[in-house]
Amino acid sequence: MTTTIQSPAMASLWFQGKVALVRYWAYLGLLTGATGLALFGGDGYTESGYLPMLISMQGVIWLGTGAVLGGALCVVYSIIRPEQGRSVLAERLVSWGDGILLMVVMMAIFTLFEPSASAVSYEDQSNLLSIKLIMAMNMAFLFSAICYILLLFAPDSFVGRMANITAWLGVYIGGSMLLLRWYESYLFMDGSIGHAPVSNLYEVFMLLFCMMTIIYLQWEKRYQAQAMGAFVLSLVAAGVFFEIWLASVGQADIKPLVPALQSYWMKIHVPLNFVGYSAFGVACGAGMAYLVREWLEVHKPNGTMLRAFPSLEQLDELAYKSVAVGFPAFTLATILGAAWAAEAWGGYWSWDPKETWALIVWLVYAAYLHVRVQHGWEGRTLAWWTVSGFLVTVFCFLGVNMYLSGLHSYGQLS
Amino acid sequence: MSQRSHFSRIIINRLGSMPLAITLLVVLALASVIGTVLQQNQSQQDYLQQFGPLWYWLFRSLGMFDMYHTWWFLTLLGFLMVSLSFCLWRNVPRILKQTRTRKVYISDRAFSHITHQQSWLLRDVSAESLTDNIKNRLKDWEWRSEQRGDTLYLRGDNGRKHKLGYIAVHSAMLVILIGGWLSVHFGFRGDMSVVEGTSEHGISFTEGTGVGHLDMPFEVRCNEFSIDFYPNGMPSEFRSNLTVIDQGKEVLTSDIIVNEPLYYKGVRIYQASFGDGGSDVKLKLYKLDGSGTVRDASTQVYQTYKDEETGITMEITDFRPHNVENMAEAGHVKDFQDMGPSLDFIIRGEGLKPVKVRSFLNAFELNDDNRGSIMMISTTGDKQDFQSVALGIDFSDPQEWALYNAFIRELIQTDPNDKSAKMVAFKAAMTEVFGDKRPDNFQAMAVRVLQATQVLPRMPWPFLPVLEDYEQKYYTGLQLARDPGMNVVWIGSALLVMGLCIMLYISHRKLWLIVRPEQGALRLSMAGISNRNPLNFNREFHTLLSQMEDDLRPHLTAVPNASPQSESK
Repeated sequence: MTTTIQSPAMASLWFQGKVALVRYWAYLGLLTGATGLALFGGDGYTESGYLPMLISMQGVIWLGTGAVLGGALCVVYSIIRPEQGRSVLAERLVSWGDGILLMVVMMAIFTLFEPSASAVSYEDQSNLLSIKLIMAMNMAFLFSAICYILLLFAPDSFVGRMANITAWLGVYIGGSMLLLRWYESYLFMDGSIGHAPVSNLYEVFMLLFCMMTIIYLQWEKRYQAQAMGAFVLSLVAAGVFFEIWLASVGQADIKPLVPALQSYWMKIHVPLNFVGYSAFGVACGAGMAYLVREWLEVHKPNGTMLRAFPSLEQLDELAYKSVAVGFPAFTLATILGAAWAAEAWGGYWSWDPKETWALIVWLVYAAYLHVRVQHGWEGRTLAWWTVSGFLVTVFCFLGVNMYLSGLHSYGQLS
Repeated sequence: MSQRSHFSRIIINRLGSMPLAITLLVVLALASVIGTVLQQNQSQQDYLQQFGPLWYWLFRSLGMFDMYHTWWFLTLLGFLMVSLSFCLWRNVPRILKQTRTRKVYISDRAFSHITHQQSWLLRDVSAESLTDNIKNRLKDWEWRSEQRGDTLYLRGDNGRKHKLGYIAVHSAMLVILIGGWLSVHFGFRGDMSVVEGTSEHGISFTEGTGVGHLDMPFEVRCNEFSIDFYPNGMPSEFRSNLTVIDQGKEVLTSDIIVNEPLYYKGVRIYQASFGDGGSDVKLKLYKLDGSGTVRDASTQVYQTYKDEETGITMEITDFRPHNVENMAEAGHVKDFQDMGPSLDFIIRGEGLKPVKVRSFLNAFELNDDNRGSIMMISTTGDKQDFQSVALGIDFSDPQEWALYNAFIRELIQTDPNDKSAKMVAFKAAMTEVFGDKRPDNFQAMAVRVLQATQVLPRMPWPFLPVLEDYEQKYYTGLQLARDPGMNVVWIGSALLVMGLCIMLYISHRKLWLIVRPEQGALRLSMAGISNRNPLNFNREFHTLLSQMEDDLRPHLTAVPNASPQSESK
C-alpha cells in the first residue's frame, strides 16, 4: 500500500533509508505490543474485551512501548553498525504499515459520524454507517472493474488512471469499513458481542475484495500489468454481486460469536487464509489474461487490444509470483488453523471437510509449483492450472460452507 | 551385481521423480474429495438407509465411511513419503556438492550462453580496482576469484540458501507425515460424557465401522456444567467445572471452556459438547374425558414412562431449559423471546399414531398477552416438522383447567341448538369455580376456555401430558486426546514455512566477471543468471549495468559493444 507523494525528496526521506528502517521496526514493535497485550494483558484474553483493551490506557502503554522500543532498538543498532543502511524489505513493508495506519485514522473519523448508541439496535442494523460505506466500496470496485475493461479497448487512455484510483479508493473504504465494523459490533448488547469482523462469510468476502485488489495493484505498480486488472477486478465485481445477494438474504448482520470462535486465533487464521485465497485469485486473473492474450495473438494479431496486454512471459511470471505470495501464506494459515484446532477441538487434524479441502487446495498449488519447475510444460498448461486451481479454492471457501457440513459450519448460510 | 544396481537406480529415479510427485499430489487431492462429499463416521443404519444395500455394501467394503484410515489411503500417503525420501536421497548430495564447490572458472563457451551479459574495453585501470569496485557495489554478495594465466575470473553468489530451502521443504513434509504417523499409532482421541455430579474414566471412539473403548488412568468428575447466553439467546460460553481423580485422590479441579482445555498427565481434556444428563421431570396428565382428573407423572429424560391405566408410553428424549425464538413475523424486525423450558417426548399407545411432542412449561405470551399453553407436535417424528398447537387454556393455572371442565360439563346439559346456551353454561361454570368473586381477567380467560373447547376434545390421546416441574441435570461432552506426534508436526511445520519462504523469495543469483588483457587495455566482461524471478533479475541486472557504466565512464575506450543477447526481455 503506497501513498503516492509527489515530492520525490520528501518521499525518499520518509520511505527510504534509515527513516524507513526505524519506522519499520517501530511498526514491528507495535505489532509485538498488540500480541503481548492479547497474551498477557488484563485478566486473560476475551474476544469482546480485546478492542476496549487496545484503546484503553493499557493498550496505549503496551503498543506505545512496543513501538518506541522497536524504533529505539533500530536506532541503536544503526549507530553501532552504521554501514548497514538500507533494507529493501523494510522499505517495501513500511508503506503497508502506513496504509493500515491510514485506514485506522479513517475509521476513527468515521466513528464520529456513527448514529448515536440509542439509535442503533441489534434487531435492525440498517442505520449503521458501515452499510453506507459498503455501498460506496461496492460502487468503487464495480466502477474500477468497468474502467479496467474499457482500458482493454482503449489502451493508454485516461481510464487507466481512473481505474487505478477507484481501485485504491475501494481498498481504503473497504479496509476502514471493516475496522469500523469491529467498532460497531460493540454498539449492541452492552458490548458483549464485540468481535473482529472476520467471523462470517459476508465479512470475509469484503476482506477478500480488498486483499485481491491490493495484491493486483502491487503488480500493476511494479510491472505495469494493467490489462490483468480487467480480469482481477472482474472477479472482484462478481464477488461484489454475491456479497449484495448475501446481504439481501439477511447474512449482513453483525451476530454474536459462537464459543468455538472466541479465540485470538481467529484474528490470525482467517485473514492469513484470505491472503492465500486472494493471491490465488490474482493468479487466476493472470492466467485468464494469459489465455486471452494467447487467443488474441492467433486470431487478432493486429488488434489494438493486444497492445494493452503484458507479454505472455510476463503474465506467466505474474501468475507464478501471485502463487508464490499465496502459497506460503496459505500454508502458514493452514498450520495455524491446525494449531487452533489442537487447542479447541482436541486434535490438529480431523479430516473435517474444510480441512480436507484446504489440503486439496494446497496439493493443487504444490503440484503447480512442481509442474512449473518441470521442463516441457508450457505456459498454457500453467495458465489453465491457475484458473482451475482458483475454482478449487472458491469451492474450498464457499462451496464447503454451502454444501458440506462439518466443524467449520459457522460459515454456513442459514 | 551391476544389473541389480542398475535396476535399483531406475527404481530410485522413478520413485523420486517429478512426474511421480505431481501424479501423487493430484491423486491424493482427488482421493481426499471423496471423504468430504461422503459424510464420514456416521451410523451404519444411516448409511444403509441412504444408499440401499448394494451401494452400502460396496462403499463399506472400500472403507468409504472412514476413508482417511483405510489401507489404500494410507498407502497413498506412504507412497508420498517414499517419493519424498527418494527425491531427497537423489538430490541432496548433488545440491550440497553444488553449494560447496562453487567453480570460479567458466569456459568462454558457457559464458557466451548466459542471457544477461555485457562487456567493456577499459584503459588506465587495474584489474584489482575493477574487482574492488564491483565488490563494493554488491556488498552482501559472496565473491571468489581465480587467476588463470593472464585472465582473472571473479564469481559472485547471492542467495545460495535457495537450494537449502528446497531441502527444508521436502524434509519438512517428511517430518510432518512422520508426526502424523506417530499421532495415529501412539496417540488416542475419544469422547467421554460425564453427567453432573458423577465421574467417568473411559473414552469411546469410532474404529472403522465399530466403536472402540479405552480406559484412562484417572477419573474425571463433572462438578457443574453451565451455559451463558447472549441477550438474543445464542450461547456465549460452555463451561465445565471438572475434578481429576487419580487413584482415589482429587488432584486437580479446574474450569474448562471451548478453546481452553485442561492438561493432565499428557492428556488434554477439551470441552466438546453437552446435553441433558437425565434431568428429573414432572408431568401432569390432564384427563380429557371431562372428569377433570389430573395425575402426576415423575420420570427422567431418556426414560420411558408408562401410564398403567391406559397403557400409553412416553419416551422422554430431551429437555431444554430455554427456547429462544424470533417472535416477529417474516420480514419484520427480529424480536427474540425465551419461551421457557420444554420437554420432548414420543407418545406411543395401542391404536395411536406415534408422534413426537414438545411440551412447554409456560403459557405462550405475545406482547404481554397470555395466549394459553402451546404444544408442538410432529407426526413424522422429525424436529423439522414440528407444528405448534395452541391448547387454549393456560395449564399453569389450575383454575383455568377447572373452569374448562366445569364449562364442558355445563355445556353437555344444554341444548346444542340454543345459541344463548353457551353463555349461560359459561356463567354457570364461572360460578361453580369462582363463586361470586370473579377474577379481573376473566374475559381473557373466557376466550381461552372457548378456544380450548375447539381443540382439546380433538386430541387423539385420553390425556394431555404437560410439563409441570423439572430438576435439570446436564452432561458435559468431553474430548480426551493424547498426541505424541503433535510436537513433531509443529517442528515440521516451522521447517516447512521457513523452507517455503527461502525457496520462493530468495533467488540464487550468480555473476561472473572476466578481466582479460586485450590490445593493451583490459576487457571486462560480466554475465549474470538467476535461477528464478527473471523479471526482477532483468531489472536488477540493468540497474547494475548502468551503475557500472557510471563507475567505468572515465576508463571507457569506446561505446560499449552491447552483445545481442543483452537485448532480450
